[in-house]
Amino acid sequence: MSRLSALKGLSSLSGLSGLKDINGLRGLSGFAVLSGFGGFLVRRAVGVVLTLFAVSVIVYVVFYVTPGNVAQITCGPRCSPEQVHQVAQQLRLNDPLYVRYWHFLEGLVAGQDYSTGTSVEHCAAPCLGLSYQSDQQVTGLILTKLPVSLSLVFGAMVLWLVLGVGTGVLSAWRRGRPTERVLTAVTLAGTATPVFVIGLILMIVVCGELQLLPFPQYVNLTDDPEQWAWNLLLPWLSLALIEAASFARLTRAAMLETLAEDHVRTFRAYGVAERSIIARHALRGAFAPVIALNANNFGSAVGGAVLTETLFGLPGIGQELVHAVNVVDLPVVVGMVLVIGFFVVLANAVADVLYALADRRVVLA
Amino acid sequence: MSETVTKAAAEAVVAAQVTGTDPASVPATTGARQFRRRLRTQRAALVAACVVALLVLVALAAPLLTALEGQDPTTYHPSLIDSARGGVPVGPLGGADGDHWLGVEPQTGRDLFARLVYGARVSLGVALAATVFQVAIGVTMGIAAALGRRWVDQLLSRITDVFVALPLMIMSLALLAIVPASFPRPVLVTLVIGLLSWGNIAKVVRAQTLTLKELDHVSAARLSGWGPWRIARRELLPGLAAPVITYAALLVPQNITVEAALSFLGVGVKPPTPSWGQMLTAADVWYQAAPQYLLLPAGALFVTVLALTVLGDGVRTALDPRAASRLRVGTGRRRENKAAAAAEQGVSS
Amino acid sequence: MRQPPLTARRVAAASIGLLVAAGAAACGPEDNDAKTSGGGSAPHQGGTLTILNRNPQQDFDPARLYTSGGGKVPTLVFRTLTTRNRENGAAGAQVVPDLATDTGRPNKDATVWTYTLKEGLKYEDGSAITSADVKYGIERSFAPELSGGAPYLRDWLVGAAGYQGPYKDPKGLAAIETPDARTIVFHLNKPEGEFPYLATQTQFAPVPKAKDTGTKYEEHPVSSGPYKVVRNDNDGERLTLERNTFWSAKTDAERKAYPDRIEVRSGLDSSVINQRLSASQGADATAITTDTNLGPAELAKVSGDKKLAARVGTGRFGYTNYLAFNPRVKPFDDIRVRQAISYALDRSSVVNAAGGSSLAEAATTFLPNQKSFGYEPYDLFPAGATGDAAKAKELLKEAGHASGLTVTLTHSNSQDFETSPEIATAIQDALKKAGITVKLQGLEDNDYSDTIHDVKTEPGFFLAHWGADWPSGGPFLAPIFDGRQIVEDGANFNTGFLDDKSVNAEIDAINKLTDLDAAAKRWGALDKKIGEQALTVPLFHPVYKRLYGADVRNIVISDWDGVLDPSQVAVK
Repeated sequence: MSRLSALKGLSSLSGLSGLKDINGLRGLSGFAVLSGFGGFLVRRAVGVVLTLFAVSVIVYVVFYVTPGNVAQITCGPRCSPEQVHQVAQQLRLNDPLYVRYWHFLEGLVAGQDYSTGTSVEHCAAPCLGLSYQSDQQVTGLILTKLPVSLSLVFGAMVLWLVLGVGTGVLSAWRRGRPTERVLTAVTLAGTATPVFVIGLILMIVVCGELQLLPFPQYVNLTDDPEQWAWNLLLPWLSLALIEAASFARLTRAAMLETLAEDHVRTFRAYGVAERSIIARHALRGAFAPVIALNANNFGSAVGGAVLTETLFGLPGIGQELVHAVNVVDLPVVVGMVLVIGFFVVLANAVADVLYALADRRVVLA
Repeated sequence: MSETVTKAAAEAVVAAQVTGTDPASVPATTGARQFRRRLRTQRAALVAACVVALLVLVALAAPLLTALEGQDPTTYHPSLIDSARGGVPVGPLGGADGDHWLGVEPQTGRDLFARLVYGARVSLGVALAATVFQVAIGVTMGIAAALGRRWVDQLLSRITDVFVALPLMIMSLALLAIVPASFPRPVLVTLVIGLLSWGNIAKVVRAQTLTLKELDHVSAARLSGWGPWRIARRELLPGLAAPVITYAALLVPQNITVEAALSFLGVGVKPPTPSWGQMLTAADVWYQAAPQYLLLPAGALFVTVLALTVLGDGVRTALDPRAASRLRVGTGRRRENKAAAAAEQGVSS
Repeated sequence: MRQPPLTARRVAAASIGLLVAAGAAACGPEDNDAKTSGGGSAPHQGGTLTILNRNPQQDFDPARLYTSGGGKVPTLVFRTLTTRNRENGAAGAQVVPDLATDTGRPNKDATVWTYTLKEGLKYEDGSAITSADVKYGIERSFAPELSGGAPYLRDWLVGAAGYQGPYKDPKGLAAIETPDARTIVFHLNKPEGEFPYLATQTQFAPVPKAKDTGTKYEEHPVSSGPYKVVRNDNDGERLTLERNTFWSAKTDAERKAYPDRIEVRSGLDSSVINQRLSASQGADATAITTDTNLGPAELAKVSGDKKLAARVGTGRFGYTNYLAFNPRVKPFDDIRVRQAISYALDRSSVVNAAGGSSLAEAATTFLPNQKSFGYEPYDLFPAGATGDAAKAKELLKEAGHASGLTVTLTHSNSQDFETSPEIATAIQDALKKAGITVKLQGLEDNDYSDTIHDVKTEPGFFLAHWGADWPSGGPFLAPIFDGRQIVEDGANFNTGFLDDKSVNAEIDAINKLTDLDAAAKRWGALDKKIGEQALTVPLFHPVYKRLYGADVRNIVISDWDGVLDPSQVAVK
């Protein structure tokens, strides 16, 4: 829903400001009585909770209602029958589906006790379960990996916004000139290159051939901020170059749109400098769609981060996910999917709010 | 990678929605002949179409081509590599000659041309088949939501929202983990991509269907008592063709990159079946000693995705020049830009 | 359980040798006899040697280390009753005295071994090393909290099976006597002619009881060797060793100890290690690695560069990679099927997949191709370079598989070029010509070793490898082929379930020999005899190639562990 409302916002680009279709919000019509910005925030918050609930249901059904022996898969191939039995008890596998799911949800929200036969281990909320294979709590495991992934994704996000919007502005400003054609070609190449190919080539050229940077090894931000940034520079670039391409396209389109509007032509007629028009008016017009696209692309950027982490050997949740997939550590896989889903849904909601702040028309609609 | 096209997808959603809000631009103007004529005016799209056609031909004719070369993708040729030097191909250009057109793979001596063209089969086969799934599910869900009762629409739209929110790469990775290894891998990858990533197309179809539903001839059909299935088939599908084709054209390159990414991570297609993603993983260390081993799959992937993206843009421009002009990428030439600018002005005034 | 940062590591590994030219220029005038033995002049005393490693020295307690010949870095700090001969090649596979005056004096049937300590042996604090300290060091290794060493002491010493170490049982082991401060006597359950080899392990290093801090001892183990630990950060990731001034070269014929200082930097990626060694910049010019080999692509690059190629040390460790059959699973219960596969195998593909002829030598014997193992060349099922498909088909026809055979090969999904998918795919191709269709089943690393070593889950046909705890046929053949070592519930290494009375008897007979040369000959003959059962198909013996810095001299690599010996190295 968040995405659609954001995209619906994008359709204002067309100049047809009559926003007929608000389907994304129709589902929340019960809250339609709430109006104004506060009402909007409430509607969005409820939407986030509902979507998260739906994500958890789907993830649970997909991974815990498989044809195989769920307890065996969860516990791992080296578990004894007694251990498997223990896990089956823990997962309430003998109960009806809704009871099992409720138990799972309860653990997420309120925490859960895990019995290991001899001792009882408490898993505090938000409890994503226990990885029987590596004998640790999934939440803790993810928390240790999260800083790496957040560093990667948010650092790259800054970079792709700056690069993308910058390129878009430049090509809108230089429209019809050779600069624009070059930028357009580069942008196109960017959209067509898989992140692991760009990353691989960057690594080979920058670290291997030219030796401008060392092969990245993650350093904690708190330990050494300079080394942190230095080591993440290449992963950031790999992820950002590809994302930036679509921002360049969108920024250029939005700016051209604004530049073609009547009042801009009027400014021009009055002799306002092109540079000032670009900075004051056209760029502002591009703000809202860029936010919407940023939310839209967050999920795919996280997918790209998995590849980037694997490529550069950064110990983030993406690398951990690939590892968990390889050893079929089900609780970790499920935990990762839920956490990533949470961030994606949240990113969409934040973008919606930002978008609403940028363009009150959405709220008023 | 998925993101490249998800964003193109986002733009397509926009473009399609724009179309959807403007019934006049929908079916009548988009005749097949006009579409071809518009497509033909775009030089880049034409070149891209030729490249794509060539790639499909190569993939289809892979057994024929390798037979012509006299090789196959799995036979080892120990005599063509220098065992004492880690198994680097003997001879210049990675051992390329009349027998092995693109040289041989380090350490095994397997024919690279054969592996590349068989890899094209996997790449294109998985991507196209997955697209068919995505379109089928997306169109069904979209139409059902738009034509169904309000609660059906609510339910289906919510499900669609969740599928849009789930990141494709992450979910594919996770799903591939729990399916037993005995399941044929290319089929599995196709299914996973196809079953997961249909959310956006369903939204496009739903929005477009809602618009079409209000058109006179559809309303008339409804009033004269046609069933929903007949209406969908006779009245809606022709009108949906343009946005669906546009969107599908953008999904193909996305699916190619996702397949390559999964194989690159080692969870996609398994050896000894050749695939480009897998070749990249194996080739990275050889970039100095045998550069062509890395450059061939990387180049193939790049050219394929680029050609499909440009073609997709071309198709969109041809089907809906007005919406596309706003978001157009690299097919732009100066004159077209002027035309586009004119079009923009026409819209805003 | 850590997923290695594969691609980065691999790419970095491949980028070897890029800065070499620049590096050489920066180092000023070239010294051309960079290779071995310091070009005639005596090796330079002093300087700092850097060791760049992947794996941190997490265990630095002599009780917990599982090493062959005393280990690499640990051998700089711990002296043991005996040690490996610090010489190049085959001479290095011999056992020589270290703390003791000789390699041990056995009684007639080799069940009692007596050692006398040299005079004037001192710890890093100047106190004297006594035989009681050696006894105490061994007893500590029985403590459950200090587990990790090899199982031999528990199996061999009289009454040691249930011993729980000196913390719980201060009376100690009666099987070890110390009649005076320089004498130590070991009483064994059964004849063990190879006891001198065992006495090279770090459990035989002296530990002063007064300084024992239990599990914390590894933070600062008391040195009996030429260097002492002055810094140990992050559980062995960064170590600094400085000279132990109480160590005397007069009592130690083996360790040269030329550098004044040794810095160990570990936790590095193998790519980074190889890249730094090839660039050889600054402190890396005097750096070596004791745990990182060159891979095939790196070798391809290095061997094309003469200057780099001159800085590669080549070593061999007694090690065999092989195909294993489980005769409890059909069709491998039929010896003709096992023979057919042996005949059909095209080893050149397998060797290439393992990195080519410079990194792997084709094997037709189970024992490693070294004299100390009693290596006797034999090829019972000659397959030639490309496999004998005709002979294989004939055997398969006899066995009732005239229309071909489909088998499943189990392998691991690790990236080790040993049991990894590349090797499995090569075998798949190598057997194709004989009409044998191979299906592959890949298992994750940990899962793999558990699966193949459990009799209940052991697959019919799988990739395996075995390395020796010391360079002799005993620890190579007995765990794999001694019928009394089949473990029905627990880790089983006799995966072919061979329980042949004559084989068992011969193993016992050889263990009685104290003439190690005579023993070696009989191990070789036994290997050939076992080979007739075709329970394994030997594939290859690995060869180690390792880079070292441009200013590293006096390179010694023995056949015992195949690794550049840090105790012999001099730095310019």
